[in-house]
Amino acid sequence: MVTPYRVSYWSIESVWIFYVLAALAVAVFVFGVISHVSVWSRGARRQGIGFSGQGIFNLFLDGLLGRRIFSGDVAAGTMHLLILWGFLGLFAGTVLISADYWVYHFLKGPVYIGYSICLEFFGLMLAIGLVWALIRRYLQRVTRLERRIEDLIVPVWLLVVVLSGFLVEGVRLSAQRPEWGGWSFIGHVISLFWSDPRGALSIYPYVWWSHAILSLGLVAAIPFCKLFHVLAAPLSIYMEDRPDLPMPAETVTGDEEVFSSRQMIFFDACTRCGRCVEVCPSAGAGEPFSPREFIAAVREDLLLRHHPLKGLDWFSRWSDPRKAEKPDLDPQKVWHCTTCRACLEVCPVYVATPKVIERARSRVVEDGTQVPLLLSQTLEKLYKYNNPWEASKKNRAKWSQDLEISDLTKTGEEDPLCYFVGCTTALDTRAQDLARSFARILKHAGVPFGTLGKNEPCCGDIARRVGEDGLFEEQMESCLALFGRNNIRRVVTSSPHCFHTFRNEYPTFQALRPPDEKVHFDVRHYTQVIGELVSEGSIRFEKRLNIKVTYHDPCYLGRHNRVYDEPRKVIRSIPGIELVEMSHNRANSLCCGGGGGRMWQQDLDSKIKMSEIRIREAAETGAEIVITACPLCLIMLEDARKTASLEDTLRVMDLNELVVMALGLRSEGGE
Amino acid sequence: MDVIVCVKQVPEVIDADLKISREGTGIEKEDLVMHINDWDNYAVEEAVCIKETQGGTVTAITIGDDESEDVLRRALAMGADKAIRIDPGERELDGFVISKILAKVIKDLEYHLVLTGVQADDDNSGMVGIMLAETLGLSHAAVVTGVEPEGDLARIRVELEGGMDEVSRIQLPSLLTIQTGINEPRYVSIMGIRKAGKKELTVIPVANLGLSEDDLTPRTRIEEVFLPPETTGAEMIEGDAASVAAELIKIIKEKGVSI
Repeated sequence: MVTPYRVSYWSIESVWIFYVLAALAVAVFVFGVISHVSVWSRGARRQGIGFSGQGIFNLFLDGLLGRRIFSGDVAAGTMHLLILWGFLGLFAGTVLISADYWVYHFLKGPVYIGYSICLEFFGLMLAIGLVWALIRRYLQRVTRLERRIEDLIVPVWLLVVVLSGFLVEGVRLSAQRPEWGGWSFIGHVISLFWSDPRGALSIYPYVWWSHAILSLGLVAAIPFCKLFHVLAAPLSIYMEDRPDLPMPAETVTGDEEVFSSRQMIFFDACTRCGRCVEVCPSAGAGEPFSPREFIAAVREDLLLRHHPLKGLDWFSRWSDPRKAEKPDLDPQKVWHCTTCRACLEVCPVYVATPKVIERARSRVVEDGTQVPLLLSQTLEKLYKYNNPWEASKKNRAKWSQDLEISDLTKTGEEDPLCYFVGCTTALDTRAQDLARSFARILKHAGVPFGTLGKNEPCCGDIARRVGEDGLFEEQMESCLALFGRNNIRRVVTSSPHCFHTFRNEYPTFQALRPPDEKVHFDVRHYTQVIGELVSEGSIRFEKRLNIKVTYHDPCYLGRHNRVYDEPRKVIRSIPGIELVEMSHNRANSLCCGGGGGRMWQQDLDSKIKMSEIRIREAAETGAEIVITACPLCLIMLEDARKTASLEDTLRVMDLNELVVMALGLRSEGGE
Repeated sequence: MDVIVCVKQVPEVIDADLKISREGTGIEKEDLVMHINDWDNYAVEEAVCIKETQGGTVTAITIGDDESEDVLRRALAMGADKAIRIDPGERELDGFVISKILAKVIKDLEYHLVLTGVQADDDNSGMVGIMLAETLGLSHAAVVTGVEPEGDLARIRVELEGGMDEVSRIQLPSLLTIQTGINEPRYVSIMGIRKAGKKELTVIPVANLGLSEDDLTPRTRIEEVFLPPETTGAEMIEGDAASVAAELIKIIKEKGVSI
């Protein structure tokens, strides 16, 4: 028996042409990659690509196993795995056959048979995956998928490459008729088509060259189409786990891009899968914004401005009209995002649109001429009054007039629990009831606490979200100084926004300070404190409340900080209460529309308000009360309840108000 | 085109409890938030817009203590090139003295246009602009809502009574007092203000200007500041929202409404 193997370039003449073409393809590929890398290198470099074990692990889970593609869409996950593994398998096969040819001849005998079978399988997987992808896009017409030219060409091209590969194999087997041909089961079936080996032999070179040119062309095209994600996505996934390093406003110079290199890699990882569009509350409300389009616009803008060929005439002839269409990114398009993080939650490659939005906003704010009027007024108020509500200091503590709450800036207590009320909770008449309720609950549970009274500043959340980084940093400095001066080590906030800013934004900036200038403090959201009081028995609910309620997860409590269970636990510990979930809950909760500075901006041409969409969803559960845990959600939903004419059937309450009601303490709120 | 813009720092009073000072001739300013006079903010924006389209320089001038440098730094951040603060020391100022001081400084500068706000938020007298034009011997227009430079002329739009506008040409150099709404003042970021700290800011003590004692003597004197006496006629409607609304409607119907 002859040892099975395959002769490379069998019956192919002028192989040098193949090498020239291959070299060309690689050159185009490398040039394409360089043009992306040269954009990345223009990014603000605040982040290194060091070794990260977690990064490798994520790469394995999210890359090779496609964890995030599977989540929420098993069909897409399976399809992508078939394509990915098929592609990787065939790529490995090509590497092996090259090694076999150039380095050491090992593909012979049983190893070769195994090799052949594996390649058949990988090819089959890729082909099935691609056909499935085309079916999903063009027959099933999955809503989030687009049908642009590129979306058709890329999979069809890949498919033609795979099928032509099978054809090459079939023709070769038909011409050679080796006795082991049957192992290549697909090629074997195709080979049966020719009864005469000479017929097969005569067309073999044509088939081989077509396959070769198509494959090399595909390699060359990778950096210029959405296939570039095969390089950028793994990098993006690998870099995801490291915290964003802050860019202090002082260090941002006008000549530097506002986006970090890391964010630019994220942009290139985007495949326009559209999961973000599906979950984006702004897009859902019919506003002219979608995370996908925004990221694509930013990416194209960067690529055109930093392309290595930008000096050439023909390139600018091509790029200038494109730039004119999107003059340096439409500054109007950066204000829709509520930074709710829903898009990042579902993005398979971790494109952090909310962070990108904040950076893009910082550019508009520093320029100053295109800041929407109401927003610029809000920022002025934040600067002048240290709150967005234009309220002078003396009104800050008015909510607590009859409650006898100690002012920590006066008492000088050691290690007090500081209740950080927050601007909106302290100053908005509806939200003030949240503060009064929480204070009553703490008193009822016998927890000593105090507030910063009229000296409480703004934590800086709004400034940070809308890109006024200089103001944010000033507010952070004054907050930290106040905490330091009054020995405040334990903070509890009303608002998930203050909570998030203290918990996630301050530490990254503090990391840049020398150790002796750092102010250490723990921060919790009030739902966590009440949860703890319920667990340890300091709060006991004895009265039955026979009502049906639903819980709205605030974005900055849930998605941004993963506090999903505490508020639900508190609600469930009230006897008689029935908690039903809305169809969007926990990680895929729907934003009320108040975050990201939207609360203090004019309405942005939506078809329906985000808060109205949410309140209607709450009403559909049949609940009598929507519970929330954020002053902004409380105000937004309360308003939506009125505009949606649900005033008679549905109430909106903060969790504090519910607890006060269940404990039978006096409450003037809710209704 | 070189533009000089005069700015003033005034107290923010929207949510403030104003207290009359002990002397009874003014209000206590200690706890008040200070900011740029709204009209002047529009004037600075207009000056910067002119510079952006026509080229040239913008110089911002204020009279006040070192705290009032905030408004100059803000003007610099908006795009002014230089700033001048005239320190009045303990001297008492009124529209007359202010316009004399400004004129003395501006006289020696290069300029085609001098812009001021129509009036200032604090005492609303609206005198400085025109008095300054008179002292400098400049043609002037007041309550300007549009400026388009055309060579050594400027096409200007002026707000008249009764919702009428008047468009005319004015010979440069001239002085315009700028009305709010003429433009949309840009947002000035904190970083912008901090970075503007590097721009030129000159401080001139008023004593160095060589003004005569007569020029520095106020022509107006505030005798007394007081709250208007309480009058009767206000009626507080109490009760829940529905009954308050019903009561209101009743009153409106009885008294009639004229629009």
